Amino acid sequence: MSWDDKLLKQAKKIIKLYPQKRSALGPLLHLAQSKDGYISDDSITVISELVGITEVQVKSVSTFYSMYKQEPTGKYLLSVCKSISCEINNSSEVINKVQEFTGLNNNETDEEELFTFEAVECIGACGGAPAVQVNYETVEGVTPENAINLCKWLKETKPDVVVADEMQENFGGIKSFDWAIQDNSGATSTAPGFQTLKTTKVKK
Amino acid sequence: MNEKVNLNVNGIEIESDPNKLLIEACEDSGIHIPRFCWHKRLDPVGMCRMCLVEVETPRGKMLVPSCTTEVSDEMVVDTESDVVKKAQEGVLEFLLINHPLDCPICDKAGECPLQDQTMAYGPGESRFVEEKRHFEKPINISEIILLDRERCILCARCTRFSDEISGDPLIEFIQRGNKTEVNTFPNEPFKSYFSGNTVQICPVGALTSTSYRFKARPWDLKSTRSTCNGCSMGCSTELNSSQNKMLRILGVDNDTVNQGWLCDKGRYNFEYLNSDSRLKTPLKKIENELVEIEIQDVYSELSEVIKDRQTKVNFLLGSNLTNEDYVAFREFSEIISQSEKCFYLNDDMLHPGFFGENVELAKVDDLNSSDAIVVWAEDLKEKIPVLYLRIRQAVKNGVKLVVFGHTNETLSDIADVFYGKETVSENFEIVKDISKLKEIKEYVIGKNITAILGKSTPHQSDKSVTKLFEFLNSNSNSKVLNAYSKGNTYGAFQTLENVKGLNDFVNDISEENTDLLFIVGADPVGRSVYSNQIKSIIEGLDKVVALDNFNHETSELANFLIPMSSTLGEKEGTFTNIEFRTSRIDKLVPSPGQTVSDWEFITSLMNFAGLTVETNSLESLNKKAYENLDPSLSPVFDNLDKPSNLDGMVNVSKPKISSTDNNSNEVKFFTGEKLYGDSATERHSDSISLLGSKKYIEVGEGVIEKYNLTSGKCTLIQDEFEVAVSYEVNKSFPNDLIYIPTNRRELNKFDFSREIMIIPSLVKEALDVN
Ligand code: SF4
Ligand code: SF4
Ligand code: FES
Ligand code: FES
Repeated sequence: MSWDDKLLKQAKKIIKLYPQKRSALGPLLHLAQSKDGYISDDSITVISELVGITEVQVKSVSTFYSMYKQEPTGKYLLSVCKSISCEINNSSEVINKVQEFTGLNNNETDEEELFTFEAVECIGACGGAPAVQVNYETVEGVTPENAINLCKWLKETKPDVVVADEMQENFGGIKSFDWAIQDNSGATSTAPGFQTLKTTKVKK
Repeated sequence: MNEKVNLNVNGIEIESDPNKLLIEACEDSGIHIPRFCWHKRLDPVGMCRMCLVEVETPRGKMLVPSCTTEVSDEMVVDTESDVVKKAQEGVLEFLLINHPLDCPICDKAGECPLQDQTMAYGPGESRFVEEKRHFEKPINISEIILLDRERCILCARCTRFSDEISGDPLIEFIQRGNKTEVNTFPNEPFKSYFSGNTVQICPVGALTSTSYRFKARPWDLKSTRSTCNGCSMGCSTELNSSQNKMLRILGVDNDTVNQGWLCDKGRYNFEYLNSDSRLKTPLKKIENELVEIEIQDVYSELSEVIKDRQTKVNFLLGSNLTNEDYVAFREFSEIISQSEKCFYLNDDMLHPGFFGENVELAKVDDLNSSDAIVVWAEDLKEKIPVLYLRIRQAVKNGVKLVVFGHTNETLSDIADVFYGKETVSENFEIVKDISKLKEIKEYVIGKNITAILGKSTPHQSDKSVTKLFEFLNSNSNSKVLNAYSKGNTYGAFQTLENVKGLNDFVNDISEENTDLLFIVGADPVGRSVYSNQIKSIIEGLDKVVALDNFNHETSELANFLIPMSSTLGEKEGTFTNIEFRTSRIDKLVPSPGQTVSDWEFITSLMNFAGLTVETNSLESLNKKAYENLDPSLSPVFDNLDKPSNLDGMVNVSKPKISSTDNNSNEVKFFTGEKLYGDSATERHSDSISLLGSKKYIEVGEGVIEKYNLTSGKCTLIQDEFEVAVSYEVNKSFPNDLIYIPTNRRELNKFDFSREIMIIPSLVKEALDVN
């Protein structure tokens, strides 16, 4: 097995949360994503043994959902929304700028494995269009200039945790909802930040 | 609840059971709704939308998929309206968007539901001009199955089959949307004992078999209905041939037996029929050389031996004979033989079974209606594969499954309780008090039980199973399915008065009591655990006549070798399966060269010897076989050919099996047979020979330590005899248990009552160098 004891322990904890082992499949795939930055065939083998289904069944699920990456991703997954609300608020320019800065086409990863760029469908932040996600932490009201600033900041400081609220403050604009309490926790990998998966951390 | 519901379809009132799917209710009333994904034996998924029909709802008429809609009372349905037609055209236009339409080179063309339904319901023209999606043309998803993903219409029949029916989901949809494809996991091929079924149910030419690929066009095929004699299940088959060559075997949906499915061995083993190595002329051994001889000369030489009716004749009969063949030998023995009237079956697992007065014999369908199934027998997935499918089906319907013994590990996955090594010892004895086992109390005591019982390995004592049987019989309302697995064993039970197994053959047969031995369709030297003993017995006899499809390790010891017609399409007769259901074996292709049916050979021989017999035709033998049964219910050809009896006729009998218990030895080794082996027929069928030639053993974890095995390979040594094998660890085995599959050549040649040494191959190499 290519998972270390720590990860396996975590996986077993997750499995216990469900009445049936195979129900843990989704979270375990996120866990695999947080480990390698994508779902490797090795991880699929491990997961299939853990939950007692065949490898191809795991593969079937993992290739169905676009948040489970089939290729390695960079440290930061930049997802820029291209759907209608964002589009009419100039997201194509945001996309252009991000592509220019990173030199990446859709679904590409740079050589340093710092950035992966993708243009995605609606990410549920239409009220604050155009919206961008870094490792699934959402920033709303992002102007083309701020998109570049955001990328620059990521490139220069290489934060280990990216926090939505912090990025919103520094690079965002109008927001869908403003009444949520300040949250200093963010994502530590290209899997979404979940406490049960330990893919989230509070930034000091 | 069981009241019928009435619905109106296309203006016609029809009646249906409640809970039926609309597509099925219509079908039952003769109204056909086109479909791709729906299959009677699989759960509905509504993948293809070909079955859309209009149903009246409170919100007006609506299009609904009839394969996922249950009937309800007073439902009003239109399957032919303009809206429905437009929907069908639309669905087909979409399905054809990415379909390559390479019908001219597609095996399915001519019997393809996509082709047929496009003709019947399609739009005639496509508006799609863009490039179709492309995939590498067929990829091998296993050694015998090919997948052309371009042709796939994503109906999920194959994936559902492998998940729901055979329980080995090694193929699945990968990716999503326009990119969706069926595939396997890398380096994890579609290794399933049942993979051929997916080829049969694929509604397009996406799945094909190496066996049939590019061999024929459906309109050139001749076909007939027959019965598989690969094991005692007796699955219903359709044989297909072209230009007098058998090309394909399909499963026929016989509700009470195989429900349309076949195992891959039953489906592909026929390939040996076309092998160049078939025996086609009679041979005689002269000074240790087999030389060709005229069949007339065989008859004349043998008739000298039998003419005076003072000959002591014995018979060792295989399981690939028809009931009529068995009867022919019985009649022959009645007239000629002076020895004790009994027949030896080529079976090293034969035991008296459970047939007594107090036993109620089970039917296969009883599996579905009992509260629990209790199994202690050989590994059923290996030995009676489609029975294994029926057990899976029953379990899926909520029947509890209680499995004893590490031999049935393949059932342990779906068992509610698996009594493995803690309960069943290395000597194949149940070492715990059965009545105290918790789950037995819960599932078995006082319940309706179907017990599938038999020996798990040749050297197991018969008594150990009897103990379980007696417990079940007195503590539950149980029916028994005796798990004899070999071909037409039940046909032999039904037609021969007295049968014995190979262990008795070894003890009984000698020069004194045998002037003439017939070995028919049997290779006990090549396959059974009594190999060496049987070899020396045969060598000690004066006259041995072997009838077979091939020359093999046993037949080469004979004085005469008669080329035999195959029961897979070269001759007619009847076959009796595990529930005493007798059905037709039919002939489709000519028997090659000078091959003869066993019954033909034996009747001709008697004629030649001037002995008049009334049973000198197939019909008379067939009548003779069932003369003790009520003529209107007996499975004679006339009755079997009635449309209502095509699925066979059941006549339960309680046979006499005078096999003696073989418990003199402790079980030192656990031997058994895997589905695929390398018997003569298997070696000469291309598909099967790819699957079953590996020589290996399975061992308990303790064996690894004891013999210091590391490299995955080792050598088995006994006296001068050695075989190099690979080994696999089996965690459900008792620590010290070693399993040796004896249907792989060489591996059956040990004396299993004595120690066999195991030497790691590295050590062996070092020894050999010195
Ligand atoms: S391969 Fe055949 S059976 Fe399988 S999904 Fe495709 S069309 Fe259906
Ligand atoms: S299960 Fe037995 S009878 Fe059925 S196809 Fe397989 S070998 Fe033939
Ligand atoms: S359209 Fe961009 S977030 Fe909804
Ligand atoms: S047959 Fe009903 S959706 Fe396919």
